[in-house]
Amino acid sequence: MRFLSALAAAFLLSACSATPKGPEPGTLRMNIGAEPPSLDWGVTTDSTSFDVISNLQVGLTQYNGSLQCAPACAERWEVLDGGRRYVFHLRGDVLWSDGRRLKASDFEEAWKRLLDPRTGAQYAYYLYDIENAFAFNTGRIKSGDAVGVKALDDRTLEVRLKRPAAYFIYLTAFCPSYPIRKDVIDRWGDRWTEPEHIVTNGPFLLKDWKHEYKIELAANPLYFEGEPDLKKIKMFMVAEQSTAFALYENDELDYVDNRSFSTPDVERCRSSPQYHNVPLLRNNYIGFNVTRKPFDDRRVRLAFTQAVDRRVFPAILRRNELPAASWIPPQLPGYAPDSGPPYNPERARQLLAAAGYPAGAGFPVVELLYPNREDTRLVVEEIQDQLKRNLNVRIELVAQEWKVYLETLHRDPPPMFRNSWGADYPDPETFMNLFTTYNGNNSTRWSSSVYDRLIEAAEAEQDAGRRADLYRRADRLLCRQEAPIVCTYLSTQNLMVKPWVHGMEFNSLDIQFFKGVTVR
Amino acid sequence: MAWLVLRRALWAIPVLWVVATVTFILVRVVPGGPFDAEKNLPPGIVANIKAKYHLDRPVAEQYLLYLGRLSRGDLGVSYKYANRTVNDILSDAFPVSVQLGAMALAIAVLAGVPLGTVAAVRRGRLLDFACMTLSTVGISVPSFLVGALLIYLLGIWLKALPVALWESPRHMILPALTLSFLPCAYVARLTRASVLEVMQKDWVRTARSKGLSPAVTIVKHVLRNSLVPVVTILGPLTAVLITGSFTVEYIFAVPGMGRFFITAVINRDYDLIMATSLIFALILIVSNTLVDIAYTFLDPKIRLEH
Repeated sequence: MRFLSALAAAFLLSACSATPKGPEPGTLRMNIGAEPPSLDWGVTTDSTSFDVISNLQVGLTQYNGSLQCAPACAERWEVLDGGRRYVFHLRGDVLWSDGRRLKASDFEEAWKRLLDPRTGAQYAYYLYDIENAFAFNTGRIKSGDAVGVKALDDRTLEVRLKRPAAYFIYLTAFCPSYPIRKDVIDRWGDRWTEPEHIVTNGPFLLKDWKHEYKIELAANPLYFEGEPDLKKIKMFMVAEQSTAFALYENDELDYVDNRSFSTPDVERCRSSPQYHNVPLLRNNYIGFNVTRKPFDDRRVRLAFTQAVDRRVFPAILRRNELPAASWIPPQLPGYAPDSGPPYNPERARQLLAAAGYPAGAGFPVVELLYPNREDTRLVVEEIQDQLKRNLNVRIELVAQEWKVYLETLHRDPPPMFRNSWGADYPDPETFMNLFTTYNGNNSTRWSSSVYDRLIEAAEAEQDAGRRADLYRRADRLLCRQEAPIVCTYLSTQNLMVKPWVHGMEFNSLDIQFFKGVTVR
Repeated sequence: MAWLVLRRALWAIPVLWVVATVTFILVRVVPGGPFDAEKNLPPGIVANIKAKYHLDRPVAEQYLLYLGRLSRGDLGVSYKYANRTVNDILSDAFPVSVQLGAMALAIAVLAGVPLGTVAAVRRGRLLDFACMTLSTVGISVPSFLVGALLIYLLGIWLKALPVALWESPRHMILPALTLSFLPCAYVARLTRASVLEVMQKDWVRTARSKGLSPAVTIVKHVLRNSLVPVVTILGPLTAVLITGSFTVEYIFAVPGMGRFFITAVINRDYDLIMATSLIFALILIVSNTLVDIAYTFLDPKIRLEH
């Protein structure tokens, strides 16, 4: 009893010494939700790591507000030989955080390291368009010397592609292509990303890293665009959404996004002036394994895709999702509102009848695989219900744990599955390449030589208008004529920002840059 | 006692070996691998990664490699956290969990034993009823709910304590309290039952008839003899509190190792799964040994040799 009263007294005492809450001028406090698996931009692949790296380091180019590639370390570049050769001219005033000047060879070394099989980099394949990159990465040639990236001098970098690739420039703004300090990596090995060793060239410096808890960045006085106004960024790793949101409401965090924002909280705060909603370049779909009955019949697939009313998804998921019937999102060139199929249950029933299943009679029970998460469960249950109502077919839902689901999908895709795809760069290619015959992520096993040729032509096309048109035709073929997938909706980013934070910009790639932010 | 410790230490080796072997087999039987990701990798890249981590070798060879490393105290590498070894990860997280677990254990014992004793002495009265209601609530209400309630009450409403994070000693109060709720309830119930049983003994009646006051009888004689069952559960309880605080660490954003018991499995981070299992087994062995030693102080009839 005495102990309990002592405990109560301790509470009262601590009540008197409660910490002051509110803005910390010059400091941005945020939640990244989890430990970044690695800050080595040659190795890591996940968005949490990229959120940190994007503020530590810059590449040849950087995204501007409209997600176009603007000059960064490269002040200009030339596209030569019909898009097969790129020559980048580097600024002379970019310094690494240890004071050394950035050299073109820092890029050459970074890209060759990414491709070196010993690095084991997952994103090495992003550079496969470069001459001999594939051969080097898969061990067919032993030396990186033949790879088509070369520092011609300290300020000139030449890249030779094996074929024209109009989207290539975007890769120069993507984290894995950022330059490295080979001398630092050689010296410290795997530990080079720790705050005491890491050398970077971006707007912020890695000051402190308490693993699984907090990362602190500080403004870089040597940054070539000038030291940012924001002096410090505290990135906490709070996994539990409601805890992070409570911290925000207690003024202990300055801004939160989906990672800290549960659906009930989104509903509660939707009308707040602090609330923002951004549609992302992440499209969600139901895929059919077209090698399996009954989805080997195009009419069945078309019936399914016209029997789904996409307007309901925002009402179910409640995060202002954007219904989508086409595969190219509206933010990208090549998008056309009529590329996707219309919602037409009557026509869907006719198609199903023509395929031999009048009013759903004789249609087998098919499995729909989905990863075991609350949001995906809501989506597949809705689709199951709509297909039952509109086509009188029975769908059996099968939930699997994330990694088991991935393995099933890659090894032996079931007749139907729920999946999504997030853009790596703001170009239709990142979406459209997925359903080519040779793409390892095409779990539908759908193969169309017409589609493949359209994509290859678009990849090589240098004229933006003609290129968009090629993608538009491919999108229509994919969603409206062949339908190996049923597009459903675009995911959104939901954010809350405190009124004392200024200059925060959001983009549909969901990369957050803080160099222009101020906290007053 | 030295003999007991030595014998337990020797026994620990085969126990840990069995745990390592069973876990090694289980993690490889479970479908899905560490490098299955939303963006499926080209086969050439998968081959490079597997070669880097020796996952391209036959399983038997991987097993021998692992045992070899383990015998040198090297717990391996994390596939998820590319720049950190399992030793790095655990040496950061383990002390935090020990700190949190020890605080919770202290609260559980310091509050649970008095609560249970009071309930037993006041058997059938209002106080007994109150204590047992409290402990029933403690056992049945899950810790995420207790945590959320405490956050709301003391963090958001009264603004008396930090909502979460692990910055200062004040930040430790809420997670430790939340974590102590369940064990405290167990200890209270166990103490009550045990005290009641001991109070029926003839020698208690003798002590009372000799003129000892009820308070002295309880504190000096009854309690000491009642604590054996309580101490017995402290062994497994310690292991659970140190390693099993996943929910509490998750809710309060405490950088402990509890999360790895779950996330390592979700990520199929093989070496980290192995390490967490081994650590759990090791803590269990150590705490049970300590419990056995504690018996001899409480009850001289128990001899360590037997």
